[in-house]
Amino acid sequence: MTRSGRLAGARAVLRRRLLVAVPVLAATSVGMFALGAASPVDPAKQYAGAAAFTASEENLAQLRANWGVDDPVPVQYLRWIGNLVRGDLGWSTSRHEPVASVLAARAGWTLLLIGVALALALVGSLLLGSLAAYRRGGLFDRALRAGAYAVQSMPVFWLGLAAIAVFALALGWLPAGGLTDVTATGTSWGDVAHHLILPVGVLAVSQAPWFVLFVRDAVAESMRDDHVLAARARGLPGRTVLFGHALRTALLPFLTLVGTHLPELVGGAVLVETVFSLPGLGAVTVAAALGSDFPLLAAITLATTAVVLAANLATDLAYAAADPRVRLDG
Amino acid sequence: MTTTESVPAPASARAATSRPLLAVDGLGVEFRLRDARVRAVTDLHLTVRAGELLAVVGESGCGKSVLAHALLGLLPGNATTTGHAVLHESDGEPVDLITCGQRQLARRVRGRLVGLVPQSPATALNPVRTGRRLLAETLRAHGRDRADADQLAVDVGLDPADLDRYPHELSGGMAQRLVTALALAPDPALLIADEPTTGLDRPLVDHTLDLLRRRCDNGAAVVLITHDLAAARRVADTVAVMYASRVVEHRDTDELFTAPTHPYASALLDALPDRAFRPVPGDPPMLTALPPGCAFAPRCPHRTDTCAHPPEPTPVAGGGTVACHHPIRTGANP
Amino acid sequence: MADLATRPPLLHVARSRLRLRPGQTGVVIAGLVLLTTVAGSLLAPLVWPLDQSAVALDQTRLAPSWTHLAGTDDLGRDVAHRAVYGLRVSLLVGAVAALVATVLGGVVGGIAGTLGGRVDRILMRIVDTIAAMPHLLLGIFIVAMLRPSLGAVIASVGLTHWLSTARIVRSEVLSLRNRPFIDAAISGGAGRLRVLTRHLLPHVLPRLALATTLMIPHAVWHETALSFLGLGLPPHLASLGNMINDGQGSLLTGAWWASLAPGAVIVVVTFAIAVLAARWRDRFDPRVRAELHL
Repeated sequence: MTRSGRLAGARAVLRRRLLVAVPVLAATSVGMFALGAASPVDPAKQYAGAAAFTASEENLAQLRANWGVDDPVPVQYLRWIGNLVRGDLGWSTSRHEPVASVLAARAGWTLLLIGVALALALVGSLLLGSLAAYRRGGLFDRALRAGAYAVQSMPVFWLGLAAIAVFALALGWLPAGGLTDVTATGTSWGDVAHHLILPVGVLAVSQAPWFVLFVRDAVAESMRDDHVLAARARGLPGRTVLFGHALRTALLPFLTLVGTHLPELVGGAVLVETVFSLPGLGAVTVAAALGSDFPLLAAITLATTAVVLAANLATDLAYAAADPRVRLDG
Repeated sequence: MTTTESVPAPASARAATSRPLLAVDGLGVEFRLRDARVRAVTDLHLTVRAGELLAVVGESGCGKSVLAHALLGLLPGNATTTGHAVLHESDGEPVDLITCGQRQLARRVRGRLVGLVPQSPATALNPVRTGRRLLAETLRAHGRDRADADQLAVDVGLDPADLDRYPHELSGGMAQRLVTALALAPDPALLIADEPTTGLDRPLVDHTLDLLRRRCDNGAAVVLITHDLAAARRVADTVAVMYASRVVEHRDTDELFTAPTHPYASALLDALPDRAFRPVPGDPPMLTALPPGCAFAPRCPHRTDTCAHPPEPTPVAGGGTVACHHPIRTGANP
Repeated sequence: MADLATRPPLLHVARSRLRLRPGQTGVVIAGLVLLTTVAGSLLAPLVWPLDQSAVALDQTRLAPSWTHLAGTDDLGRDVAHRAVYGLRVSLLVGAVAALVATVLGGVVGGIAGTLGGRVDRILMRIVDTIAAMPHLLLGIFIVAMLRPSLGAVIASVGLTHWLSTARIVRSEVLSLRNRPFIDAAISGGAGRLRVLTRHLLPHVLPRLALATTLMIPHAVWHETALSFLGLGLPPHLASLGNMINDGQGSLLTGAWWASLAPGAVIVVVTFAIAVLAARWRDRFDPRVRAELHL
């Protein structure tokens, strides 16, 4: 197939996926709004905080009228979703600032954490999983799989606390939390990188077992494929056989796994940010949850869902680009 | 290997004088399955000389392809091998393909000393690579110029332009020629070709057979694994007939085709369209449940009580061996 | 007296007595660990009662010793003692939540599988969408809207963990629908409901029971994560997540045991279940050999 043909095919896939994604996201937003409307929490009292006890009923009613909380639920929903579409994400009642500015200030750090951790987990698991599969049943293979099952049994926040206990407190190598030193005046990248080593490492290690075990199984199976045996029979070097042939074909289903595993990674990031007191979306999510801050929570959940859906689409397109057998015109 | 020398190899007219390249001595391959053991190769003796083209023939499932994989050390983990297969390189230490280990096989043997044209070309090609990339990679790994790819394609009868296609865009015959070209790229001293003419039309079959023949005439050796007896007769110096994991008869091609001594070889020849065109009676045995004696006995018209003991390969007048208690005598009417 | 040197090592004796193959030793150990921890935590009130509100301010942050196997926390409470009760609470909450998720998933999957067509497509699209939502975030959202409480935690687990069950039940029902005995029942005049309850349900139930059991550790994890964030069970209750959360503060003062010990309970139980599940997969699905030999 020609390059331009494949490009047009990719565009068709993109259009078809969007046609599905938009109603799906809309339905999700309805579900979330319904849950929010059913919530026993009074947003006016929530907003007023401790002042609610002293505020007069008229003031609270005034607040409710301003927000239209007393309107019928469908009207409220349409107003909310209309604002969302126009780019107005609403007002965060827990942080007393626009939702959009909370996201703008925080999302970058979360994306950085997730991105670097994912890259690390991918590279590490592809390398280790392939090596384990090459000598299947060997000492390294068995040790790696036992280790993967063990790490898989550790909640990420526990792993984070353990890492702090060992690397920050017992050994004193790395800072236990935060993004910069307490004494630092500005934000220097070196300082930030130093502070991010532990959280990124913990998130990567906690997510790696799924990837490692999958890569190991897929490559081990691929090593018995006819075409890999043929590559070995041609006398190609072990490295070429392993990475160029066995891993190369096992990589395709792996892409799909990475796509479906992203939601897990986001959840892990929230917990890691909490453990290491990082100023990402995790901390505001927890604060918003404690304050029943519907606009902020809904925006964060919908935004991450949209990002995950987009990432899934990207992996599908990458799959098609990596496999000449997949035709994109369907 | 003195034991091998004690069993006389067929005296081929074309390769009688050259040195032995590969001496297989008592090779056995067994697979462990969940609830069974499969003997795929049993007590196998063969000699291949430089310049010799040996055809290994037999029905499917008799262990031919396992033999090929055993010689390259490509058997799966549940296989155990016994015996020896010593390869005598013209300049260098002899290497035992069965015992030397994966490292030696990978560094020294595969590709350059022993090449393989794998059996099913459709699955033997990496689906995400073009033929040209596969060829270039193989040529480079063996210190050859990647520009030789076009010449190799022409040699096997493939249009060089087709090298830029992906495997799923190739016809079965094109894929077959491509895997042959890939096996030829390292210029192996011994080429094992497992059914290399599958999916080819008549002219291309002849082209491929001539190609293999020419390799032998230039001093290399070829083991042609096939069920095409006509092809074996056309190009092979010697023929080994396999039945239920054993070589039952190994002789000079002309002698085998004029006067087969093993009842199975004789029955196989009778199945040829230009002969009696009569299929071998009965069914081949399961490799999981081989009889203790001669495996062919249940289908054999000459069987007696002695066939309950396994027959040893014994010399035949005029060279070669046969493993049968009641070989058909030359001149006698079978 | 037998010569010590000629006696086989203890492990080998155990293996030969129990007729174990080498790969099964880990399974037996995992089974025993799981049995003792779960039974121990469930029977704890009878054997080792705990006053949830008792504190001992003269014994704060004691390091692990023979009197306090896992040390004490910053209110002087015995960590090991509370961890036993934490596991008990977490397991009970996890089991109930897993059951809720299974029922929800079973109903959705059953409807999708039996009705098929457009209903099936729509339901499965919903399943796919929720699968694309980070389920911790969704769980947090649910808890936030319902206010942190026991019920909210169970709802949070139930509403985020039913997807896999729905998929399993749907595919099971779909494959059963094409089997002859269902056709026979329908042509025999059985109504849709009768076919569902009398013929489909008995076949799906065993898989459903297994799915519920295997979901308990996931439910425990979800509950623990919520509690750790302060969004789960009431803080005075000794749940594993609450304990890890409480201990977080004393970690910085060097008292690592207060939060790491309760977490270790989760790790051990989850690991034991993983070993057993891998073994089970080995036994019943020989195509997917898990190959976990420890």
